[in-house]
Amino acid sequence: MTNDIKISIRNLYKIFGDDPQNALEHVRQGMGKTELLAQHNHVLGLNDINVDMPAGKTTVIMGLSGSGKSTLIRHLNRLIDPTAGEVLVDGDDILSYNAKQLRDLRQHRMSMVFQKFALFPHRTVLENTGLAPSVEGKGKSKYADEARKWLARVGLEGQDDQYPHQLSGGMQQRVGIARALTSNSDIMLMDEAFSALDPLIRTDMQNLLIELQAELQKTVVFITHDLDEALKLADHLVILKDGFIVQQGEPQHILLNPADPYIEDFVADINRARVLRVRSVMRKTTDAAGDVSGEVDHDDTLESVIEASGGDTTNRYRVMKNGEQVGMLEMLDLVRALVPQGGSGDPESARRTG
Amino acid sequence: MATYDFIFDNLGLRDWCGDGGADGGPMSMADLMNQTSGEEATVSAWDTPFPSLDNLHDACEAIPQSRDLTSGLERGFLDIKDSLKVVVDPLTQPLSWALNEMLWLMQSIPWWIMIPLLMLISYAVGRSLKLVALVAICFGFLAFVDYYDYTMQTLAIIFVCAFICVLFGVPIGIAMSRSDRTQRVMIPILDMLQTLPPFVYLIPLIFLFSVTEPKLYGIAIILYAIVPVIRLTDLGIRLVDQDVIEAADAFGMTDRQKLFGVQIPLALPNIMAGVNQTIMMSLAMVVIASLVSAPGLGVLVLRGIRSLELGVGLLSGLGIVLLAIILDRVTKAALARINASQSK
Repeated sequence: MTNDIKISIRNLYKIFGDDPQNALEHVRQGMGKTELLAQHNHVLGLNDINVDMPAGKTTVIMGLSGSGKSTLIRHLNRLIDPTAGEVLVDGDDILSYNAKQLRDLRQHRMSMVFQKFALFPHRTVLENTGLAPSVEGKGKSKYADEARKWLARVGLEGQDDQYPHQLSGGMQQRVGIARALTSNSDIMLMDEAFSALDPLIRTDMQNLLIELQAELQKTVVFITHDLDEALKLADHLVILKDGFIVQQGEPQHILLNPADPYIEDFVADINRARVLRVRSVMRKTTDAAGDVSGEVDHDDTLESVIEASGGDTTNRYRVMKNGEQVGMLEMLDLVRALVPQGGSGDPESARRTG
Repeated sequence: MATYDFIFDNLGLRDWCGDGGADGGPMSMADLMNQTSGEEATVSAWDTPFPSLDNLHDACEAIPQSRDLTSGLERGFLDIKDSLKVVVDPLTQPLSWALNEMLWLMQSIPWWIMIPLLMLISYAVGRSLKLVALVAICFGFLAFVDYYDYTMQTLAIIFVCAFICVLFGVPIGIAMSRSDRTQRVMIPILDMLQTLPPFVYLIPLIFLFSVTEPKLYGIAIILYAIVPVIRLTDLGIRLVDQDVIEAADAFGMTDRQKLFGVQIPLALPNIMAGVNQTIMMSLAMVVIASLVSAPGLGVLVLRGIRSLELGVGLLSGLGIVLLAIILDRVTKAALARINASQSK
């Protein structure tokens, strides 16, 4: 896996209204969302967005409703055009694409999974799955094998001739994912893909995505309003609020070093033991330590370490990565990390200030 | 002396009006009455007439009478009639041919082929044996009372007109759904077509074409019946789930692929409902069109009215009802089949 940047968003602005260019000037001079709406009747959708999305990783864009996250993802395949800024995919500015290049981008290089599934109700499961090849003009017999392969991979065998309305929500979204996979594109955009599913199915689907991701290493851009989901899936987490980025980075890092009260408020309700990994709280050292209670992997969750220690806070562990020691973990550090830092243990106070 | 004299006197327009005498121009009935009674009617304030064209004309010769307005309209239409005909006549000629050919075809096929053929069509469309039985019974009854030829004529006219309505209505509806401006322009036109009393269509058409030409009633029927299919095509395409359209865009479909692969198939239930309404409305109009020589059951209804043949009128009325039921059920069955295959 490389750390190349697959998608790069530069100084992206989106303003909805009659005269966005004029409103843009005000925004650049520092006008906020509420003032812009009150004084100029324009809605500030996105405000100076800069994100680099690493190839082969999952970038999660998280925010509450109205934060602009769905607007942002639609800029990546230009379902929405920005007011100003650049979107680079593999180094190409897609905003300069003509209609034909854009169609090519959407057909071959990006695929999308939707919150409300958006399957074609008049086509069978197999025909829906083969949407991307059929748009290219390939006949059903040509794409059937490929489509069946991906349907089987997402756990939908033998449903080829069903219509979408005959399937449950979870199964419909599996078709949605199979449809995106059948296009064989490097990039998969997922717009609140699991938000409409009930909790157990959602967990299933998250696990399916993690499995697929381990196997295929696509560049996934995932939108969600659910922090647990974001932390579970993200390699790179971007938190949006009112159209601007509050904080972005590695999820562990954001969790341990929230940049402002808004994020603190967000992360306060999280089960930290399940999300935090050993590597985030260990002391980096390769010195062989004296007495240790055992070895743990650097990617283990704190929860699993607590379970292994039986709750004994005097234990120390040697942290291993690929069979080599990378650090030491004191149980006391672990316990300290479980309490949100920054003097705001009380989520209510953060909510008031944020 | 007329009520509104004072206006023209006060404004100093008397000279422009000419002398206020009652000479020249045709007389109105009221003038005539006044003349015979020999006395000028004195008008109380309660009876003050509305300042209409006729009343103003009484006061001032230069103002035209309302009959001048209607005759002016007539003259204007007659003046452009010839040049209009040069354009419209060749354009609509295929309609005459189509109607003539269809009438000839439907009547020259013997009944023992025609009725089974119609049953077969209704089975192909509706996939229901009950429906086929209904078709058989209705046509059997109409043939039994010797109305077979009339029924076939009516059916031929409806087939041709409904087909042309769909042929033009669906593309117009699609154009309306794609552009808000087209929609804004079309809606008042459609409203007018729908609210204009059916007889009014006939009046200018009679002047334009000779009464012996089938296109005369063909155009009247089409203008009247095309509205629902346009409206429902527009509505159907606009109602297609935006999420699905977005998915089509996100996978790089061209506009054409979107239209034929997504929008029209998903709008089909609404379009079919429009076709059903169009057929029903052309059936309603085909009766009125018999006033201008449209053959079929309408002629019998007209005979019932004109020569007070109650039995003929009632029986042919029943025939039209039966035809309406068949056409409605068959198209509804087609609609139900479409709905079943893509209900959510």
